[in-house]
Amino acid sequence: MGKKTKIKINYSICGDGNEINPQECLKCLKVCEPALFLLHESFGVEEENPYDPQIWRVTPLYPSLCTRCMKCVESCPGEAIQVTW
Amino acid sequence: MCDNCLKHGTAGKWYLNARNYSNEIVEEYNLREFLIEQYKNFEQIAVRKIAGFNGVGLGYKIQMPIIGRIVKHTAEKMLHSTKPPTNPLKAEGHIGQVVPLDDAIAILEHCAAEPIIQKYCMCRYMHRGEKDACCINFGVMSEIIEKLPRFIPVDEKFQLTREEAIERFKEHNEKGYIGTIWYGPYPYINNLCSCANPECAGIRPRLDFGINSIYKAEYVVDIKPDFCEGCKECIAKCQFDAINFDPIRKQSIIDKSKCFGCGVCLHACKYDAIGIHPRKDFPELKGIY
Ligand code: SF4
Ligand code: SF4
Ligand code: SF4
Ligand code: SF4
Ligand code: SF4
Repeated sequence: MGKKTKIKINYSICGDGNEINPQECLKCLKVCEPALFLLHESFGVEEENPYDPQIWRVTPLYPSLCTRCMKCVESCPGEAIQVTW
Repeated sequence: MCDNCLKHGTAGKWYLNARNYSNEIVEEYNLREFLIEQYKNFEQIAVRKIAGFNGVGLGYKIQMPIIGRIVKHTAEKMLHSTKPPTNPLKAEGHIGQVVPLDDAIAILEHCAAEPIIQKYCMCRYMHRGEKDACCINFGVMSEIIEKLPRFIPVDEKFQLTREEAIERFKEHNEKGYIGTIWYGPYPYINNLCSCANPECAGIRPRLDFGINSIYKAEYVVDIKPDFCEGCKECIAKCQFDAINFDPIRKQSIIDKSKCFGCGVCLHACKYDAIGIHPRKDFPELKGIY
């Protein structure tokens, strides 16, 4: 694989308190064989209870492990993921 | 065997030293506040920038000629740190070792501080979206987890007796999860995990990126050729790709240089063909952890 894989998530659709709550979807996390996505609390948002954060997002953490299978793109209900190289 | 033990030549196993599990260690190193802050934000650790770097795109960063070496060096220095930790958003002094079933039982019987709890595995949730109550915690760490609802099992018990913890660990081990024990942070031991690749955030840095985040067990296995029936069940269980099949003899063979000594293949073998031995009995493995 010569070219680097770029994986982008549109956070105005999924995460950060927008339309889709990734904790309720989880599709990309489940279909990705190398499990390269990371589900984590969003930064810089006001949480009502910091011990029980509610606002989360998904970060494509290790794009170098991507096999370019496109399963995440196909299964994302919000069409929020882009995988390019 | 941690760096510290290698340096100071401790004969025993670091994880069988009960003092490392005690509340005194927590107070001495002032770890209570540190651990609350760390676990409040646990899933964020890899994406937080520390000194200009974070874990995003780690594989590509490691591949870069000079930066790659700096990233690897910085990561290992942080994980292997034996200084009092300063930043809860860094995995400082967070180093682990694989433990097979018997050592895990010894930990649970003799070392683990009470209360003992089981919590949802963070790694499997943050990387796979699954809630699997397979992390066993001890002492002050258990009290901290109690404050963080997302880690507390919904349909299963939270607090465990020693016997229940041993039972749970056995179940996970038989399923094929790798037993691991962790400093977090050094020298406090509070986590006996049952891990799966590629989700485990503790094992992945080593397997995928060559960062020494976890040591192999004090053990290694081998296969007795007289007993092996070549059923390949052990191969399916090994998460380290350490068992090969010899098509000529129709038997499985352990690649000792790859074996992490987790012992989960033992559960798979119906023919008692696999034996587990101290790593130090094999001169060719001397110092290889
Ligand atoms: S394309 Fe496949 S391997 Fe790559 S991130 Fe998506 S699901 Fe994972
Ligand atoms: S599959 Fe799409 S909508 Fe679902 S969590 Fe992943 S990015 Fe969000
Ligand atoms: S170290 Fe292992 S058991 Fe513990 S949280 Fe990570 S994968 Fe789960
Ligand atoms: S061969 Fe080694 S690494 Fe593989 S399952 Fe057996 S003990 Fe674990
Ligand atoms: S499980 Fe036992 S009998 Fe089967 S291939 Fe492995 S060592 Fe041989």
